[in-house]
Amino acid sequence: MSFRPLSPPESPTANNSNNHNQSMSRSSESDLSVDTDIIIGHLDPNFGSETRIENPKTPSSHQRNASSYSRNYSLLDFYGLESPSGDRESEPLIDASIMKGLDDLEFKELSHANTIFAKSVVPSPETEASVRENYIQPTVSENIEKILNSPYDRYGFRKSSTLHNITHDHYNEWFSDYSQYALRRKKKWHILMKNNGLHLEQEDSIPTRFPPKSDKVKKLIRQGIPAEWRGSAWFFYAGGHERLNKHIGVYSQIVRDTRDIHNKDTEVIERDLHRTFPDNIYFNSQITSPVNSSSTTLATDTSAAPPETPMIKSLRRVLTAFAHYQPQIGYCQSLNFLAGLLLLFMEEERAFWMLVILTERIIPKVHSANLEGVHTDQGVLMLCIKEYIPQLWAILGKNFEGEALSEDKILTRLPPVTLVTSSWFMSLFVGILPIETTLRVWDILWYESSKTIFRFSLTICKMCLENPDFQASRNNNKGGAEMDQIELFQFLQNFPKTILDPNLLVDNCFKKIGGYGFGSLSQDEINKCREFVSKQRAKLDHKKNNNIAAEMTDEERRTLISSSDGTFADDQSIHDVYGFHRSIMSGVIWNKSISNKMKRSFVKRKTSR
Amino acid sequence: MSGRKKTLLKVIILGDSGVGKTSLMQQFVNNKFSHQYKATIGADFLTKEITIDSNKQVTLQIWDTAGQERFQSLGVAFYRGADCCVLCYDVTNEKSLNNLTSWKDEFLVQSNVSNPQDFPFIIIGNKIDVDDSKKIPSLQKKLQNITNNQLGGLNYPVFETSAKDAINVESAFEVIAKMALQQEELNDANGNDVSDDYNDAINIHLESESSGCAC
Repeated sequence: MSFRPLSPPESPTANNSNNHNQSMSRSSESDLSVDTDIIIGHLDPNFGSETRIENPKTPSSHQRNASSYSRNYSLLDFYGLESPSGDRESEPLIDASIMKGLDDLEFKELSHANTIFAKSVVPSPETEASVRENYIQPTVSENIEKILNSPYDRYGFRKSSTLHNITHDHYNEWFSDYSQYALRRKKKWHILMKNNGLHLEQEDSIPTRFPPKSDKVKKLIRQGIPAEWRGSAWFFYAGGHERLNKHIGVYSQIVRDTRDIHNKDTEVIERDLHRTFPDNIYFNSQITSPVNSSSTTLATDTSAAPPETPMIKSLRRVLTAFAHYQPQIGYCQSLNFLAGLLLLFMEEERAFWMLVILTERIIPKVHSANLEGVHTDQGVLMLCIKEYIPQLWAILGKNFEGEALSEDKILTRLPPVTLVTSSWFMSLFVGILPIETTLRVWDILWYESSKTIFRFSLTICKMCLENPDFQASRNNNKGGAEMDQIELFQFLQNFPKTILDPNLLVDNCFKKIGGYGFGSLSQDEINKCREFVSKQRAKLDHKKNNNIAAEMTDEERRTLISSSDGTFADDQSIHDVYGFHRSIMSGVIWNKSISNKMKRSFVKRKTSR
Repeated sequence: MSGRKKTLLKVIILGDSGVGKTSLMQQFVNNKFSHQYKATIGADFLTKEITIDSNKQVTLQIWDTAGQERFQSLGVAFYRGADCCVLCYDVTNEKSLNNLTSWKDEFLVQSNVSNPQDFPFIIIGNKIDVDDSKKIPSLQKKLQNITNNQLGGLNYPVFETSAKDAINVESAFEVIAKMALQQEELNDANGNDVSDDYNDAINIHLESESSGCAC
């Protein structure tokens, strides 16, 4: 394999379509011309010294090496199954070069908002050519010491957050323990890598290839990926490489196409950019007086627009490009949180494709214009709660007027509490759980897919229910069903913010002994349940549209129903959809138990009519 | 409503994304303002106990909502039983002013209130702390036009507020509380007869399904 030294960037507006016919080794240049104007980050003076680059670039080029993107890797290659070693070697290029920047960033700069961005000042956005800084410091003892002394955590979030009611001291108390845990985990990861023949050049190198999926890997993933490896590991296990290599240059093209676009989506995006992570130094350069933890006002002046950080610019491009690429979604609030968190861990082209993977594969239709996926997933979650946490269902399976929701209403009129839980699904716990806890969930999510969201949602619900404070407030509550609901609503909203220790959540979720054992809720069951709920909803919609509400005569209704019976659920098809074949937890065979219960209640109602 | 032991008044704040709904609620309930509010996903609420007319204790339950249009499909559950609806716009954003009507209509459709004609709405124009040059030109005229022609000529109370500088927030919510209390009393007097057409419609069809829905 050969990588030519990179030539100076062409004009970012140059049409690179001609270049696509070039040979693979040359295509790096064509992509480069595109990437230079979309990657904004810190200039890295040591860039050329990156050890993994076989043909070191000259330091003056300051380019992100886009060549690994332009190489047409196969899926197999990325999962490390069969590939010529030469290709394997080449793949780390991108990450290694990006990651290198972190060594140069003194952590103490984090406490000076104004200086941290000084490096990234570029003369003109049109000609800027820079390497994306890595925002995450390596998990090593020296850094941990620095983090303990900084007002910011290792991701740039303020430790004492008014959003999470966590104080600086409280954070440090937790982190001094947790960081030791993180150090031990990292050692385990090093051993795992070594056992899989994936050698790291240095202690601090960021791997770009990870071991194939296995129980051993899953276990380590659940225990947490080293923070600085996260972007790379998420991307790898989510199938990011495959996606990226099927769409070489696409992101850059979209960014160019959408540069001056103004529409309904961009309007909302603009409003959300600064409302994404206002407590993060990379997103808000105006965080002031961080030491004074009692201060609630963090930014100083409203009237003047805060200077834009490189991160905000990246976020704008990713969200705008995404809205353009997925018009059936466009921009949906909460995508800003997802893109924002991804951008802390990977450069924007990768973040873009991860967003695509997420919305296509992991939480489909959740952000679509009618939020159909939210309704579906909330229906599934409610069914799960009903089955697995019946004590909780006894509270929330009612409307605000205190009437118990009949089974058929679960899917048509979701319990009010789904207003809280739907944001868990839309934001994937970003801003809902404390940051490290969120990241641990994300580690697992990218590896184990969407069942993870359900498992953790159930875990949080159960922890909430068992929380002594909640129990106490329930006992004191004389307000009846509505107040019960309100109480639960509020508790579910605030409680997750207090789960500072990720291990508590993860252990509760997965441990069979001493935990809730939600790890046995399988993807297959979730898939079936999703299919079931969405079919039911479609059927109800269909009927709603066909009937003008209740203004039909009985005869009309009967005709309609008999006509639709053929197309929709007969006994068998429902059982197929709902036919979870396995008992999941504590011997409950919930497919039968639910479907039988349902059928009984329908029969009863029919005869009573 | 039935089963309530104390007077709980439910207030819904609606309006375009970014007009300051969260800030208004936070300013009223917690007397604080921050630039750090994140975009609201789903919905959020806070409660505050206040005294009306120096003798009536009520609990205001204030619901803050997501402003993006598509989130309205999630609103069904909590619009219901509302006692007052606050329509917000941003005095620097004309579009948010023009959208007041659709927010009102959406609310009436979803909440299914028994008295859509005279349900208590209140209009809040937020961000008056912002420099005059940024404000909507001839705002009063435009607002007048909207209330007369689109909001049905009903004289909804209008407040101009600054959640940032705590201007008029308290007095706006005082009026909101009074209006909500009145609505609540009206509902009680009417025997809490909130029509339930939507639910019924669903029920009928489900119930008459032959073998049905397993769940």
